[in-house]
Amino acid sequence: MSRKPYQRELPKTTWFLRHARYKKYMLHEISAFAVAVYLLILIIGLFRLGQGEEAWAGWLSFVTSPFGLILHLIIFGLSLVHTTAWFKAVPQAMRVQRGEQFVPGPTIVGAHYVVWAAVSVFVLILAGVA
Amino acid sequence: MARSHKAPFWFLFAAGGTVVAFVLPVMVLVTGIAPTLGLFEGAMSFDAMSAFVGNWLVKIVLFGIITLALWHAAHRLRVVAHDFGIRADAPVAGTVYGLAALGTLLTAIALLGV
Repeated sequence: MSRKPYQRELPKTTWFLRHARYKKYMLHEISAFAVAVYLLILIIGLFRLGQGEEAWAGWLSFVTSPFGLILHLIIFGLSLVHTTAWFKAVPQAMRVQRGEQFVPGPTIVGAHYVVWAAVSVFVLILAGVA
Repeated sequence: MARSHKAPFWFLFAAGGTVVAFVLPVMVLVTGIAPTLGLFEGAMSFDAMSAFVGNWLVKIVLFGIITLALWHAAHRLRVVAHDFGIRADAPVAGTVYGLAALGTLLTAIALLGV
């Protein structure tokens, strides 16, 4: 017996362009590419740091080149997309109960933004002081 | 009861996603954008950076951040491949998790060399 299940026609690479919600989904999924590229640059930087002053200067000249700057600006933008999308999803993944009540979603999300600001300021102070 | 091998990968994805959300934007700002703008020049100098990464606590924290971020990105790229119609999940998973494992190893080697 053969059966032929209905298969909806779906363009493999452009399906997400059909709906704003799909586009948003794809944007934060694509942020993984930005994370991967940034980690690659960072790991190379750590190797260069271990190889001496000249190697490190070479890595820094790549970072400060026009291409390096544009690349990092794109990575920075996508990292913000990841952060905001991730915080938005937290109340769905984590239910916090206090007494009889569940802590409302916006409170949980707000707390994440406060911690994010604190972590960022801490790292900036670390960079400024060092 | 059947055991799923998904749990460890899912944990790494969730932990990595949280770490990436909190620290990656400011890290990109400091190591990727600030040098071009001439900010924190002292911090990114060879001597300051060597001393900073030379600290064992910093090495451990950096290793944790980079490793979790690697496994997070790997899991997401696996999903992205599926979203773009690639249905050969086993080779895709092998590739992305293999790269994450390689990245973890290289990070450890790089950090130990500073």
